[in-house]
Amino acid sequence: MTGCNLGFINPLSVLENPGTMAGDFYSRNFEKKAVPGRIILNLGPQHPSTHGVLRVLCELDGEYVARCEPVLGYLHRMHEKMGEVKTPWQFLPNLGRIDYLHPLAWNWAFVGAAEKLAGLTVPPRAEWLRLIGCELNRVGSHLLWWGAFVMDLGGFTPILYAFEEREKINDILQIITGSRLTMSNFRFGGVCADGDSRFFRLIQEFIPYLRERLKMYKGLVTDNVILRRRLEGIGPIDVDMCQRYGATGPILRAAGSPRDTRQDYPYGVYDQVDFPIPTGPVNDSFGRYLVRLVEIETSLSIVEQALKAIPEGPIMMEKAPKVTWKLPAGESYMAVEGARGQICVHLVSDGGQTPYRVKLRAPGFSNLSLFAEAAQGTILADAIAILGSLDLVIPEVDR
Amino acid sequence: MLQAIWDNIKGLYSLLVGMSITGRYLLSPVETIHYPRQVVADEIMASFRGPIQLTKGKKDPAQTRCISCQMCVKACPGHCLSVTKGDTKAPAQWLYDFSYCCLCGACVETCPTGALEFSHKVYLVTLTREELILDLLADLQKRAAILPESQPVPTANLAPPTVPDVESIGEPK
Ligand code: SF4
Ligand code: SF4
Repeated sequence: MTGCNLGFINPLSVLENPGTMAGDFYSRNFEKKAVPGRIILNLGPQHPSTHGVLRVLCELDGEYVARCEPVLGYLHRMHEKMGEVKTPWQFLPNLGRIDYLHPLAWNWAFVGAAEKLAGLTVPPRAEWLRLIGCELNRVGSHLLWWGAFVMDLGGFTPILYAFEEREKINDILQIITGSRLTMSNFRFGGVCADGDSRFFRLIQEFIPYLRERLKMYKGLVTDNVILRRRLEGIGPIDVDMCQRYGATGPILRAAGSPRDTRQDYPYGVYDQVDFPIPTGPVNDSFGRYLVRLVEIETSLSIVEQALKAIPEGPIMMEKAPKVTWKLPAGESYMAVEGARGQICVHLVSDGGQTPYRVKLRAPGFSNLSLFAEAAQGTILADAIAILGSLDLVIPEVDR
Repeated sequence: MLQAIWDNIKGLYSLLVGMSITGRYLLSPVETIHYPRQVVADEIMASFRGPIQLTKGKKDPAQTRCISCQMCVKACPGHCLSVTKGDTKAPAQWLYDFSYCCLCGACVETCPTGALEFSHKVYLVTLTREELILDLLADLQKRAAILPESQPVPTANLAPPTVPDVESIGEPK
């Protein structure tokens, strides 16, 4: 087949004329031969109820999804390749752009891998600042997911409340990172800016404030019968399916498996804080919803403990690496818990100016992979609910 | 049948609960800021990292501390800096292409003389891409001229570099 008519698909013409050239490579090869009564629906890449530029090809039987398949690659930016052509320091700003909702976890994964490889030690105050930043960032990510998810389901108001909270978190994080999106305050051997008194004061005010608001969220959304009917029993994902696709994070925890990198393989100072791992009461979309809301509270309690424990001291190790710093030869691997699951970085260096290979493992990619199986046989509107409950960030999936 | 009616009543009830909550928050004070009638508080802007600028000289605020060593040019991952050396050590031209800048701070952190800093400009808007190529030497002259001459550079030596220059915070461009 030659000639790619990108973007145009007319399902009816495919039905009437199976040999037609309508559609592009994916939609033409999606259906091997036309089945009467079935249509192919192209969700995305700019569909408002998919997140970012995700494209999902669905074969519909009436309103039921007979088969569906995500098509990726609309936001591929070669982050892994860029890691190979830039010095580790110069690659740092990229990490905030892989997952723009939880950038600090990606920072931590890459910086942690490089520190492991070079054997750098990070001062304790920097470790605690990293933890506080990362957890607040996780709260911000979950809040935005919460608003966007409810908006997918048709409720517009909650996202406005979620943004109000998120802006407050951004005000706090801006003090230590200098930006409100694509943050990057991690440096090899420390962090780039210290938290001042205003930083700690704002956090102390924010924690009780958000706890109050979470009660309002419960009344406004969680207890809402209409929302529950759209979520309860929709898209059950069990531990077995998670393991087959490598899904991690809240999805795995909602399925009932208490796996969390922060406790299984503690990094930074996570072994010095005490927190429970929430697992879902049910493994459907509503369970995943509940797990994330509980995780917000967990993160708040971690930040509270960190505020008590943070010591005074330097935030950067002595003789910290400069921009032209070369990684020593060897390889290292670092896994951290992001808002969407396990983020891993595998770093290989041959001792040259730039790393030999930077492999980034995005949790969103594995989480999206199970969507095809989870959505099979559901109503299209429920498939959207399942898609939303996976909390996808497409820049991260495509990298 | 009865079940369906009961379900609808429950749905209606939770709708009312939601409406009462949104109604309550509708009457609470507005959180957003109406630009340009209002601007963001300077306190918040102080930690914001905007486009980079040259720091004012210690003796003469219009004099840059840059010694044209090209360290920042090499460090920049976006290749957005170009420093042309003049007859002396001081640069003849200092160009900065903000459209490629990712505000990473590599240049600020490598500069051996502390000649660079982040500004706090959030209202930088241009109509063309070319206008984003900023001449930082001219910008430095402009900022130095704003400061009254009689006044010595306030606490320039005492203040840590993160404390912003008062006149540049949050000003609409
Ligand atoms: S902040 Fe980063 S990208 Fe911007 S000019 Fe400096 S080194 Fe280049
Ligand atoms: S690193 Fe500093 S001194 Fe060297 S060229 Fe850049 S601004 Fe000038």
